[in-house]
Amino acid sequence: MKNINRLLICIYLMMIVSTLPAENPKLVFGAQWLPQAQFAGYYVAQDQGFYEEAGIDVEIIHPSTTVNTLDYLTSGRADVISLFLTSALNARFDGHQLINIAQLSQHSAIMFVSKKECGIESIEDFEGKRVGVWMSGFQEIPYAVMADNNVNVEWVPILSSVNLFLVGGLDAMTVMWYNEYKRIYLSGVNHEELNTFFMADYDYDVPEDGLYVLPETRKEKEKELKAFTEATLKGWAFASENRDYTIDLVVGIMRKANIPASFAHQRWMLDKILEQHGTEEHPGDQLHLHKEYFEKAFSIMERYNSLSSRFNYEEFFVPVIKATE
Amino acid sequence: MIKKNSLSYRIITRVLLITVSLFIVVLSVYSYFNRNIIRETARENAIELGGSLEASIDQVLAPMEKIPQMVSNVIELELPAKDDLYRVLETILINNEDVFGAGIAFEPYFFPEEGRYFAPYAYKDGDSIKTLQLGSSDYEYFYWDWYQIPATLQEAYWSEPYFDEGGGNIIMSTYSIPFYVWRDGIRTFAGIATIDVDMEYLTQLVADVRIFESGYAFLLSRNGVALTHPDPSQIMNESIFAASSDWDEPILREIGRDLREGRSNFRAYNITREGKNWIYYTNLSGSRYSIGVVYPDAEMYAPLRRLNLILIVLIIAGLGILATAVVNNINRLAAPLTNFANSSRLIAEGDFNVKLPDIQTKDEMKELHNAFSHMQSQLAEYVKNLKETTAAKEKIESELRIAREIQMSMIPNTFPPFPDMPQVDLFAMLKSAREVGGDLYDFFAVDQDRFCFAIGDVSGKGVPASLFMAVTRTLLRSIADKVKSPSQIAHSLNKSLAINNESCMFVTFFMGIIDLRSGTITYVNAGHNPPVLIKKDGTVEMFKNAGTIPFGLHGDFSYPEESIVLGKEDMIFCYTDGVNEAENVNAELLGDQKMLEVIERHKSQTPRDLIHSMEAAIEEHVAGFPQSDDITMMVMRFNSER
Repeated sequence: MKNINRLLICIYLMMIVSTLPAENPKLVFGAQWLPQAQFAGYYVAQDQGFYEEAGIDVEIIHPSTTVNTLDYLTSGRADVISLFLTSALNARFDGHQLINIAQLSQHSAIMFVSKKECGIESIEDFEGKRVGVWMSGFQEIPYAVMADNNVNVEWVPILSSVNLFLVGGLDAMTVMWYNEYKRIYLSGVNHEELNTFFMADYDYDVPEDGLYVLPETRKEKEKELKAFTEATLKGWAFASENRDYTIDLVVGIMRKANIPASFAHQRWMLDKILEQHGTEEHPGDQLHLHKEYFEKAFSIMERYNSLSSRFNYEEFFVPVIKATE
Repeated sequence: MIKKNSLSYRIITRVLLITVSLFIVVLSVYSYFNRNIIRETARENAIELGGSLEASIDQVLAPMEKIPQMVSNVIELELPAKDDLYRVLETILINNEDVFGAGIAFEPYFFPEEGRYFAPYAYKDGDSIKTLQLGSSDYEYFYWDWYQIPATLQEAYWSEPYFDEGGGNIIMSTYSIPFYVWRDGIRTFAGIATIDVDMEYLTQLVADVRIFESGYAFLLSRNGVALTHPDPSQIMNESIFAASSDWDEPILREIGRDLREGRSNFRAYNITREGKNWIYYTNLSGSRYSIGVVYPDAEMYAPLRRLNLILIVLIIAGLGILATAVVNNINRLAAPLTNFANSSRLIAEGDFNVKLPDIQTKDEMKELHNAFSHMQSQLAEYVKNLKETTAAKEKIESELRIAREIQMSMIPNTFPPFPDMPQVDLFAMLKSAREVGGDLYDFFAVDQDRFCFAIGDVSGKGVPASLFMAVTRTLLRSIADKVKSPSQIAHSLNKSLAINNESCMFVTFFMGIIDLRSGTITYVNAGHNPPVLIKKDGTVEMFKNAGTIPFGLHGDFSYPEESIVLGKEDMIFCYTDGVNEAENVNAELLGDQKMLEVIERHKSQTPRDLIHSMEAAIEEHVAGFPQSDDITMMVMRFNSER
């Protein structure tokens, strides 16, 4: 139950050993979750030597049960971290001075899933139902969707597993399209047995993963951060073109860390994350955080959190690569 | 080498065809039933193996499940002091080798003085046992599966397996059970008691199962994750559902869903990477984990395949032996047939004494031999008879030829017969129907002025008739030497012929003596066809019928004598019934009328030409129909003056 610590120490040690001979300026990247295809672009950039080519020595670290990524950033353990937009806003509300230097995800992957047998066919049917929701930072959007529709649900806090849902302890559950939804399917529940409700369909297509740094790091290591961002983008592009290789790489990293990993699950995750990065609506706007998204997310966060100090879009989104570049 | 159209080839192909068909049918039926038996046996074995695995696992898990149950019972009876809870947990770990950790997690604020979290926990760290309080803001245990699920469901729960805390490869599972306390007389949910169990023993139990060469048993978690697998990289990573997706094998998902829904089954499945397998799967009670045993189809049926192969080899060898034996036997049995064929060819060529093949058996071949032998002797005898008959016939024929020559030499055949008798011009011909005949004619000078001529027809034909004719002719000559009148000659001749005529033969006879000076013919007609008188003036008429009887029948008969006077160049046409009764294929006779017409047409011709004309007319009438009676014609013309 407290295995994560030791795993991360192992990974950490491994990374240190592997990066010893490098003389490039060092950059520590903290992923916001355990190793999985969500971070494939970073692993690929590392594995393919894109970071090295860009003249930086990147270390990738992952959170543990006791230390989250934000802690890595604020403590100075990491130079740059990935976070959900809502989580980042949340941190900012709490007074952490982090800024967005690149917005990778352009779409929301949050959704409700319900077994058909529970009879939830529309958002109104959620009334009075037990709905699982993560207690770690992404709950605002589900709350907002229900509130907007005047639906009262019994929110059941959950960590990350889908088992309570699978054993019938929940009527519905908040899941990520690229992750838990597939996990449910890969536990034997068929697609046709599930009803799905995407936040994006309820006017909450709030983008997710972005890169965050402290303002001083933004100043001190601008060149390195730019190189990092570009190399990461290259990593994602390579991952998109070489999915079999990427899945092998991701699953290998996961298994080395003793994290259960299934090819089918990681393949799905990679495909969906890449879709999420898609910029069909704003071609050429890769890495750009649109002001409308910022404001939408900001208004949601404002509804459920108290703001310690005000800030605006320009203060929050300070890209290292301009959208026009 | 067997010839394609030989008897043995035909028989062996038929025999082999039937035998092979029979073997195929028998082998198929045998195989089919054997497969069923093997499958049934495999099913029974699989269920038994599954059952025994289930029992073994149950033996391990059931006592484990008792431990938190005991904790739960103790707490419910009387809640121990907080510090005692740690000792309870330590005791559990000391006494249970496979228990890695044990915990008692309370509901939030159960002990107000402890705050939100209170969860005493003991775990093994190497040889020592350590305790700690698990809950904190960093570890909100209420939201972990091991707590949240049994708390929500209010029932015991085996967690999805996980790797041990050491980051090693030991698979652990937590068994959790809700416990209760009595508050104001109400049984109130108070928390979850847990033990962490090392699953190593269980997975080893299952992993150790070997079925044939490559068959195996597997253990799946509730979510279908592989807890054992021949490929270690799959363990804890891949589920049966993921495998179904990765390998595009929907059957695996079907099996996984069967298990999720608590169904057991024995069935075949066919996936590309494993081939065809038979699988028995079932859920374990309590943990809701599932086990399966996999029987590779190819290995399951391998003994049957081997047996079938041996049978096929034996059958092919057997058929070979059968074919050889049949061919040899048939060839041996049928060999005399070829010899018979050769013998019969020689017999046909006339060698009746050819040796027939030796037949020792008493079967149809012997019958054939006997029939051949009989045919051989019959043929020999027949040919011998035929030779004798032919020789006899040839002898008779040659005698007859001689007889004919003799007979023909008995009648005058020189024309004109008497150059010194210009008063008569005479031509005659005799054409026998057979070698010898019964017709006769004769003419001779009686004295200087008289000339005798006669024609006759003996009753019957052939040799007897010819002999009677010879007698008649001889008697005529000898009698005519002594007596000179036709009636006297006739009288004597008749009398002589009638004597000793046992066979009642007779001869019709016309005889005349012409006086060359006057042309007067005195004649006797003994039952013979009346001659035709052809006068110089052109009248043609038949003689009146005398109405007398032929010679030889009545010795005392007295034949009257008649006479007629021939004028200069008158002719007389004498003939036998072979002329007017000449028959054609339709049995139509030439007839007197037609005969007279022919004479009328050719009356001006010489005797020789007239006879030849008549002969031609007869030939025309019969048109090739074989002559049935002797034909004799004689024409005499009276020239009167010297």
